Amino acid sequence: MRMTARIGLAALCALAGAVTPAMAQEKQKVFLSMSYIGNDWQAEAANMVKAMAASKTLRDKIDLEVQVAGPNAQRQIQQINAMVQAGAKAIVVYPISPTALNQVVKSACAKGVKIVAYDSVITEPCAYNVTIDQAEAGRRTAEWLVEKLGGKGNIVLVTGVPGTSVDSGRTNAAKEVFAKHPGIKIVGEAVGMWSQAVARTELSKLLATRNWNDIDGLWMQVGCYTANAMQLEAGRTAEQLKPCAGEGSNGGRIQMLKAGTEVEGADGAYKPLGAPRISYASPPYSGAYALKLAAELLDGKDVPHNVTLPLPIVTNETVKLCETGSWDEMKAGCNVFKPSIIPNPGWFASIFSEKTPEVGLNAALVGQPEN
Amino acid sequence: MSLDLATPATATPRARPRASADAPSAPRRWLGRNRAPLVALAVFLGLFLLVDALSPGPLAYFDVSFQISGATPLALAAMGQTLVVLSGGFDLSAGAVISLVNAVLARSMDPAAAEASVLLWTLAGIGIGMMVGAVNGFFVAVVRLQPIVVTLSTMFIVQGATLLVMDQPGGFIAPALGSFYMGDAVEGLVPMALVLLGLAALFWSWLRKTGFGVALYAIGSDPASAMATGIRVTLVRFATYVLAGGFYGLSGVFVSAQTGSGDPLVGNSLLLSMFAAVVIGGTRLGGGKGGLVGTIFGALVLMVVVNILLVLNVSAYFATIAEGGVLLAAVLIGSLSRDSVLSDQLRRLRGSLTARRAGTHVSQRPAGDRRLAFVTGAAMPVRSAAPSFLQRHGRELRFALPAYVCLVLVLIATQVVLGNTLANWGFWNALLVLSTFLVILALGQGAVILTGGLDLSVPWTIGLSGILLAGLVQGSDAALLYALPVVFAVAALIGLLNGLGVVALGLSPIVVTLAANGILQGLALLYSGGTPAGFASPALRWLMTGKIAGITPVLVLLALFVVGGTLLLGRTAFGRRVYAIGNSMEAARLAGVRTGRVVIGVYVLSALCAALVGILLTGFSGQASLGMGDDYLLPSIAIVVVGGALITGGRGHFLGMVGGALLLTALQTLLAGTTLPYAFRAILFGGVVLAAVIALREKRN
Repeated sequence: MRMTARIGLAALCALAGAVTPAMAQEKQKVFLSMSYIGNDWQAEAANMVKAMAASKTLRDKIDLEVQVAGPNAQRQIQQINAMVQAGAKAIVVYPISPTALNQVVKSACAKGVKIVAYDSVITEPCAYNVTIDQAEAGRRTAEWLVEKLGGKGNIVLVTGVPGTSVDSGRTNAAKEVFAKHPGIKIVGEAVGMWSQAVARTELSKLLATRNWNDIDGLWMQVGCYTANAMQLEAGRTAEQLKPCAGEGSNGGRIQMLKAGTEVEGADGAYKPLGAPRISYASPPYSGAYALKLAAELLDGKDVPHNVTLPLPIVTNETVKLCETGSWDEMKAGCNVFKPSIIPNPGWFASIFSEKTPEVGLNAALVGQPEN
Repeated sequence: MSLDLATPATATPRARPRASADAPSAPRRWLGRNRAPLVALAVFLGLFLLVDALSPGPLAYFDVSFQISGATPLALAAMGQTLVVLSGGFDLSAGAVISLVNAVLARSMDPAAAEASVLLWTLAGIGIGMMVGAVNGFFVAVVRLQPIVVTLSTMFIVQGATLLVMDQPGGFIAPALGSFYMGDAVEGLVPMALVLLGLAALFWSWLRKTGFGVALYAIGSDPASAMATGIRVTLVRFATYVLAGGFYGLSGVFVSAQTGSGDPLVGNSLLLSMFAAVVIGGTRLGGGKGGLVGTIFGALVLMVVVNILLVLNVSAYFATIAEGGVLLAAVLIGSLSRDSVLSDQLRRLRGSLTARRAGTHVSQRPAGDRRLAFVTGAAMPVRSAAPSFLQRHGRELRFALPAYVCLVLVLIATQVVLGNTLANWGFWNALLVLSTFLVILALGQGAVILTGGLDLSVPWTIGLSGILLAGLVQGSDAALLYALPVVFAVAALIGLLNGLGVVALGLSPIVVTLAANGILQGLALLYSGGTPAGFASPALRWLMTGKIAGITPVLVLLALFVVGGTLLLGRTAFGRRVYAIGNSMEAARLAGVRTGRVVIGVYVLSALCAALVGILLTGFSGQASLGMGDDYLLPSIAIVVVGGALITGGRGHFLGMVGGALLLTALQTLLAGTTLPYAFRAILFGGVVLAAVIALREKRN
């Protein structure tokens, strides 16, 4: 009797023993709540998050599901709550609004769910944020332009989406710099909505009553690639291109290479021009890094609440073509890809980070991890 | 007000003869009348139970409570929209009002004072909404302008004003507001949001029994008859917009409580969901039928879809497709009945098949000249002198001219402000090139509007066409030869499906094309994998950005297009039928117009025009991008209306719409040339559009 009980107990222990490691191996549920997916940056960032989830580092630890909220903050609130309800251990968010999600994030935190935001921020203190310093981006690019123009000249600004903190952070910082230099005159300001297509129509409107000769430089959030293409169409030569402080699109960086550099797949304005540029970007790997941090949080590690990523800045001096785009090559400092690999010039080229060896070119393109 | 109205209006239903022997019983009649809201409720409950069944844990009180408060801002705003829709109008400013209230509240509350009067701030929010509503109501009811263009203008003005109040997210909302609205009315049993929605529903059930309520339905059904029965149309319309504004204001207060802070963009994207909620709730766009209670269920359905997509783990790229499908399905189920258009069409088809089999179908009868005798006879009436040009075209001129007059004023202003305009060919060239896109859209959207419809699938038809073209041509001119037909064929198919949805299923054009837009967005994402590849070919780029003697080649195409469009709508049988349908679908059908084919035809035309814009935009930018059509939806509608067309159909000239396109582009060019902050530009833009259409106001008759 006692014997059987003991055997039973042992069996139970064995069973429990077998169960416990299995429980430990069970993957933790992590969700990605995206915003609008109708643009290049969002699609690229989402690919990199998916690749990170499939990488060796994370694939045995987490189980990622991706959902889209669209441009509507109400829906994202609903979505985050539904994720908590569905048993999320962590949620990686591209926040549509830095403030509107605060209440739902607070209630998620109270249930022990880790919330990590990327690119834009969530101001609720319990959330973790992975961003760049938008004011620094605006300031450094504006300073570069002022220096390039020798502190004197007429400039045109093309801003982002009005009413967002990213746009006002960058634009206000840049305007502060310009205000310090009385020789710099802002002659036109257009709303570019962070889109190459919009930048073109807005610049066309600006130029309807002006000539390229009336403009000495451009400060844009997105659109330098397009501005250079338009100058060529207007019959100007590559040497006459105006200095442009702007986005980190692959097309723009190819244009920064010395004119005449051989690159495979160059076509139209998507070719080396030696264009005077400073190129900065909100790096699309921020989502993948946010996911990695979320996994670390789930492992019980300590992670700072606000991670400011180093601002990826490329100038004509530092631009370097990648031959294959391998991770090691990027680590060695290459920062622009051949048009034959990246046929879309609006694609964002700042995909490299030392902190995310799991994701490289294939991650950004098709969501495949490095290992 | 309600007193004077009550007598004639409420008398009508009472005067109806009591139920005769074969009339349905009272509960049955109630069911029949409330079919659509009940279906919406059933769909919501079904979806909610599905979520519950698929979720790992049981849904607790908190989840139900959150579900309801999550849908409340949309529900409240959509209830306001329903009022406007019932009166036969449209309110595009609704989302902007929510943002404005949120921004004002977040800016004005004092962070030092933790306690704030919930009642006071709620009234303040409702008051702000009502003020905007009063502006809308004044221009719609008193000045008698078309609601869509009035509210489009106020939308821009309110958006601009909101950015002046608050240029980026921030501010402070007192926690008292949050804990009141997000809390419980009865602890652990009834959330406050539910009480709020219940109160709104009670308010409505009282309101619709008043003289005002009856008058609202009467105006929405037939404004002329309503006026003839003595209803004070102006007053009722005005009050409708003010009341609707109050609902948006309340929604803004709720959003503030829900988010605890301010965001100047928070409500803007609710606009399209609002229309979806209205329609799912069983209210007919165009007015006269429906109610506010159904709208609440509509909003709940839309919000629970988010949970459904999550529990079923629908891939991100399929999300918009699934949503489009849900919208179509919910509306279709709600409208299914023996006298729905779909069963009508099926009956007709069956009849025609039977007739064919029996050999009695019209087309099987022997052909022959069956014209009436007097037409073939020699006795033609003596031709009187041709009427003068003004006599023939006075009406068209009256409605087309204002756009051109405003255009001239804007051009003069541009010359004064920026200089280097009127005598500068470069300016004209840029203006015309930029107008090309809108002029082309004006033909398609214009034809759809002339039949009384609306095409909301324009943005992603543009996007998908551009992406498809760039992907197919890959920078090769030779490839254009097969890429262009493929893109146009795809567009024609999109238009055909839109048209079939409207004609065969009998759904509202807004629902069909809104769903189509979502589905097309999903398809574009799936096709491109998120990053569109490929280039426009050199020839296409040259067409849009090259120069022959200072003229961009596309202007030749533009000239041909304007002539072709004018002839198509003005001189062809198709054009005449489009106008006939817009004036009266029934009359056109009785006059022998095959209305179904013509309606399908205008949607195909609209999709083809959107595809052409997608192709030209790709040439203009050099490549295609996702979302490249997003900025063209509202302008495509605005130019048609500014150009003198009636949004309900039947009136408008293509050349007027061309004027509208030129005016809008010239105005944007003027504003882009200045360094005014965006907020002021938005306000100015709205103001000028409003001024332009004041000349279009309808005469009292």
